[in-house]
Amino acid sequence: MAVTFEIQARDLVKSFAGVAALDSVSVAVAKGELCGVVGADGAGKTTLLRCIAGLYRPDRGAVLPGRPGRDRVGFCPQGFHMYADLTVDENIDFFGSVYGLDRATLADRRGELLAFAGLGEHRARLAGNLSGGMQQKLTLICSVLHRPPILLLDEPTTGVDPLSRREFWQLVEVLHTSGSTIMMASAYFDEVERCQHVVFLHEGRVLADGSVDELAPSGSTLEATFRERMAEGNAATGPSAVSR
Amino acid sequence: MSDRSGVGGGTAVPMTGAVGASNPRVGRRSGGSARRLRAITRKEFIQLGRDRRTVMLMVGMPLVLLLIFGYGIRLSVSNINAELVANNSPAVRTVLEQQHHFSVQPRVAKSVTAARNDLLEGRTSVAVIIGETGEPVKILVDGSDAFVAQNSLEYLRSLTATSGANPLIVDVLYNPTLRSADFMVPAEVGMIMLWVGTVATAIGVVREREQGTLEQLMMTPIRKLELMVGKILPYSALTVMIAIAITVLGLVLFHVPMRGNPFELLLFAIPYLVAALSIGLLVSTVAQNQRQAMQTAAFILLPQVLLSGALFPLSAIPWGIRWVSQMLPLTYFTPITRGMFLKGLGFSELWPQVSVLCAMAVIFTSLAALFFKTRLD
Repeated sequence: MAVTFEIQARDLVKSFAGVAALDSVSVAVAKGELCGVVGADGAGKTTLLRCIAGLYRPDRGAVLPGRPGRDRVGFCPQGFHMYADLTVDENIDFFGSVYGLDRATLADRRGELLAFAGLGEHRARLAGNLSGGMQQKLTLICSVLHRPPILLLDEPTTGVDPLSRREFWQLVEVLHTSGSTIMMASAYFDEVERCQHVVFLHEGRVLADGSVDELAPSGSTLEATFRERMAEGNAATGPSAVSR
Repeated sequence: MSDRSGVGGGTAVPMTGAVGASNPRVGRRSGGSARRLRAITRKEFIQLGRDRRTVMLMVGMPLVLLLIFGYGIRLSVSNINAELVANNSPAVRTVLEQQHHFSVQPRVAKSVTAARNDLLEGRTSVAVIIGETGEPVKILVDGSDAFVAQNSLEYLRSLTATSGANPLIVDVLYNPTLRSADFMVPAEVGMIMLWVGTVATAIGVVREREQGTLEQLMMTPIRKLELMVGKILPYSALTVMIAIAITVLGLVLFHVPMRGNPFELLLFAIPYLVAALSIGLLVSTVAQNQRQAMQTAAFILLPQVLLSGALFPLSAIPWGIRWVSQMLPLTYFTPITRGMFLKGLGFSELWPQVSVLCAMAVIFTSLAALFFKTRLD
């Protein structure tokens, strides 16, 4: 069966003020796949996702088949980036409207997603007054209102309590099961272990790329393989900040 | 390990169904540009309504300025301290005090040395030395306050004129009493529109960047023009409302005349407003946070106020920097407001200024569109 790649990045190079954030990074994510990109802070995860989303123009290399249509991608950035001075409902209304959803569809999606996320009781609350976990769930809801085939998640659970993390993952798994192609950056190995496809990123380079079984054969762990590859790739690199 | 480094090859992943455009669950899309524009504008109005601090700043500051310029600051100084030196002269004293330009001290300074001492220590600003015959022979003016000194010299012309055989008649047109309010309120309308339009727009956009919501907006189908127009529409409405309020308060509180057609003024204000809002968008392209936006806006607005002729006459601006004045929208809007308020001018007289403002609106909007980025880098 021929593989259809939904996300393809080829030889991406991106520098900021002369410092390379990405150095010839190539990644391909098959349609319907859940892909985890793991690496320490500064590894280039956010830059990679932003290049794929079209928010950054790479210095070299290409994202194929080009900058994806904006209504084909949902982007859930690191941290809370919704309107803190709007209520949960108003945020959803706004993003639903700019994605062109009509009133009836928007109402359906809102009800469904709020129920999934357990935010139904908080619709009238200002987004800025929600807990960190709720804010992340609201960000995810607003990112998937238009049901994008591609979903990019940039460390969505960083700084979120364990219970909220689990609830957030339940949402992600529902989206994945329904067929979305998901690429998620994370600094947590236990999160990327849930993915079918894992990319190790270190100092702007891909250390390894494959399935969990391939990267962590029985008796080993993703973290152990990551550290091993990191040591091989760059002996001078200090201890990784990647955590379990 | 799978080769996923490029096109082709790789592990086959079973597809469980797409949630893409072909999926019926995507739902119905409605509207287009107009719907997105309405969504942004609505959001901005809601946010503006909740951002009381900004609204207070935008509404309160013009009000305070109006009161300061209307009641407080006088560009025409009155009751300047003056004294007679050596001899008394009721005639000179009367001339000096007749229009409250000077407040002449009852005592007479004994000598020129004493008068110089009074000037040095700030007890008087002007000392008129009176000769034996009661005629003024020499006048000493404290030049340390150039503003007071300039006014003094202007007022003293009437004294030198009345001292001759043929008194000089001075006839001031349009603002015969030289009231500051008549001069300032029309100019203030332009200054306030510039301030509110530029700062509010710049802060509105920069706040999106600062809070990271601009990144989210860039991922939506919103087009650059929709975002720009959607951001500035609410601030346009706010600016126009404040300008109208300032005009009405000027008419009611300070009895400033409105001899022109106010609707025509509103029409002429459109290109000026567009230019001001576009400057705000331009500021937002260089500022990374709200503090920087305020500082950059101040950096741009201060020269406008000083060099546009709104506060000081254009003739007082040195030739070396006069070219800067020619590039400022306020330089062209101030003659429009003053001309319409005080002289009842219309398009037939003001078309050159209106034309320049239209050209500026096009140029600044084009620049804003050019520099307004829909990427993060």
